[in-house]
Amino acid sequence: MPRLNPEDRARVVRLAGPGRLVRRLLAMGLRPGAEVMVLRRAPLGDPLEVQVGASLLLSIRQEEACHVLVGTGP
Amino acid sequence: MTRACHRPAAPPARSEVQALIVGNPNTGKSTLINALSGADLQVGNWSGTTVERMEAHFSCGGRRVTLVDLPGTYSLSATTPEEALARRELLEQRPDVVLDVVDAGNLERNLYLTLELTELGHPLVVVLNLVDEAAEKGITLDAAALERELGVPVVATVASRGQGLAEVAARALHPALPGPQVSYPPLIEEAVGELARSLEVPHRRWLALAALAEEEVEVPEAARPVLEKWRHRLREAGVDAFLEIAEARYRRARDLARAAAGEARGGHGLTERLDSLVLHPVLGVPVFLAGFFVVFRFTYLFSDPWVEFAGAVQEVLAGWIGALGLPRLVRSFLAEGLVGGLGTVLAFTPVLFFLYLALSFLESSGFLARMAFLADRVMKSVGLPGRGFLPLLLGFGCNVPALYATRTLEGFHDRLRVAMAIPFMACSARMTVFALFAAVFFPRQADLVVFGLYLGGLSLGLLTAMLLSHLTPPSVTSGVMELPPYRMPTAAVLLRLARLRTMDFVRGAGGVILAAVLVVWLLLNVPPGDLSQSLYGRLAGALGFLFRPLGIEDWRLVGALVPGFVAKEVVVGTLGVSYLGSQAGTALGLNEGLQALGQALVAALQGTLNAFPAMVGLPQLVSAPPEVPGGLPGALSASVSPAGALAYMTFVLLYTPCVATMAAQAREFGRRWAAASAAWQLTLAWLAGLLVYQVGSRL
Repeated sequence: MPRLNPEDRARVVRLAGPGRLVRRLLAMGLRPGAEVMVLRRAPLGDPLEVQVGASLLLSIRQEEACHVLVGTGP
Repeated sequence: MTRACHRPAAPPARSEVQALIVGNPNTGKSTLINALSGADLQVGNWSGTTVERMEAHFSCGGRRVTLVDLPGTYSLSATTPEEALARRELLEQRPDVVLDVVDAGNLERNLYLTLELTELGHPLVVVLNLVDEAAEKGITLDAAALERELGVPVVATVASRGQGLAEVAARALHPALPGPQVSYPPLIEEAVGELARSLEVPHRRWLALAALAEEEVEVPEAARPVLEKWRHRLREAGVDAFLEIAEARYRRARDLARAAAGEARGGHGLTERLDSLVLHPVLGVPVFLAGFFVVFRFTYLFSDPWVEFAGAVQEVLAGWIGALGLPRLVRSFLAEGLVGGLGTVLAFTPVLFFLYLALSFLESSGFLARMAFLADRVMKSVGLPGRGFLPLLLGFGCNVPALYATRTLEGFHDRLRVAMAIPFMACSARMTVFALFAAVFFPRQADLVVFGLYLGGLSLGLLTAMLLSHLTPPSVTSGVMELPPYRMPTAAVLLRLARLRTMDFVRGAGGVILAAVLVVWLLLNVPPGDLSQSLYGRLAGALGFLFRPLGIEDWRLVGALVPGFVAKEVVVGTLGVSYLGSQAGTALGLNEGLQALGQALVAALQGTLNAFPAMVGLPQLVSAPPEVPGGLPGALSASVSPAGALAYMTFVLLYTPCVATMAAQAREFGRRWAAASAAWQLTLAWLAGLLVYQVGSRL
């Protein structure tokens, strides 16, 4: 997910990584099939502001975001 | 709060009803509990933790309802200590009803937790809150449809406006046990079926699912063989139980959300527009900084008049005591010991109250999350979560509310690391000492010296945090944060919470502060006579050898550090007394005293009124230092060299914070950590002072 540019839309394909982190990301709304869009990066490059679905906003560090595998597509 | 409640149709079953309130963070649970509770709301924390706990009581239909607010949680697969606490309460308590507060504008995710709750076997009522926000997004809600699907009462509310609350209260008395909601893939259903049969608890279905998903749950011995068998079978079939279970729940949540609400128009107008300013790559930073100025300015403008008032009260009380004509020692004990101690506590209270107010505003409005987003990168480099920057910054005003601000962080170790760094932030009380010494010894570079001290403190604080991040377990979750939509918090709720939290602090730390002041009084006045012969003088003399390598030879300087342990503001006053002799207490008649109090009260009220327009005036970073007794500067410059003065200031910057801060640390994190913190600070203070003097005296 960190490689997405702002304004690109994508869907979450898979979550990979340590169990606890995956559970956290999932519980907060980053589940397979969810629509995500990176809105912006913080001034120093990290973290990312991500919109999930229609209105949920999350702040996520790059090192956690790279566990969220996304795909652009239908 | 009997006003907001319909009479139930059925006769009341029991007279006491226990209710637990649960839900995602930022769904308005606090607002709800506040609105339902009427006058009876208690704020404290869960025993043995630093997590805030709210309990409310109200009466409805002839029964007394107890509401306990559980920490916000996204799901029962707890990933933070707060969520684990919520889960523990849900599993161990036998509540009569569980109120699940759901954000109507974010149904799908919120309903995930709801579905987990349905598997617990507790009677449930769903509170569909924030309906007004949902309406703004263009979502229309059908609570009845949701109720039909879930089989439990669903009430739409706007807690901030008090809408729907009567219905919540009434229906909470008639909750329902939800029917099974989620159908899992066949293999898992089979596993759950067999496993649940060997579990003997009401929440067997949830427990079976959690065990299969490899959550950290306790499974009784008898069921373990079955569990192992099924885990093995699922693995063989290539099934990731956790993911399948989560997906099944989310699918059901989506279906429920579709049944209950229309599609959103998308986006959140105000939030988007504000964020494009606040989080702007260039404009964001000055907005961010302006935010801080506003917080400090607000706090000091509004609390200063009341701190003055507290001082006036202290003077008047001391004056009345003086007029009683008691023997000198008794008078001194009452006026300087007791009243002095009470005065110190009183002087803290307005500052705390307004800081709590500012803090809760930032949190409820959503600004705090944005500031954390901007600060996250810097915080990460010292192993702290993004939200950790605010307590650190508050520490520059006063360490005590800064410590309580750590409660907004998740995870004990995150909180601890921030809390250990906070005492290094030079609070405004320390400023009084710096202002004096810098003016006397470095008249031309005073600003630079003070700035250097602040920077030094900040650096050492961050260094401490970084060191601790290697010694304590890292937090898995500090990198992900929700940015809630901007909301206008309810003033009544904010004021009430600020008041309750302030009183909670006074109750907890007030006694400690009073005791410390009395001990210092004892040292200063026993045996009576010349100050240098008192216990204080002897103690200072005995400790003197420690300070000689720091260039501090005069016992009076060393001695002032002792009351400085109680409150840093007292250092200057004590120095005045040591060098210039104490002032005789003035005597005040009853009428004079009352007059003085009246005048002080009027002045305080005027000051508060003036604070409103003054908020938009020119900023002033630090409030003016209190009056310095004439002659003190001269006496000081004769007793220590500039290098020694700098070492002294360094020591004051770094050594243990005031007793209120230590009391707060002990309360929040336990005595061991508070003691470790004190020891660390004393060591650093001494070493830094040594370095400063040895280098400084050679320049």
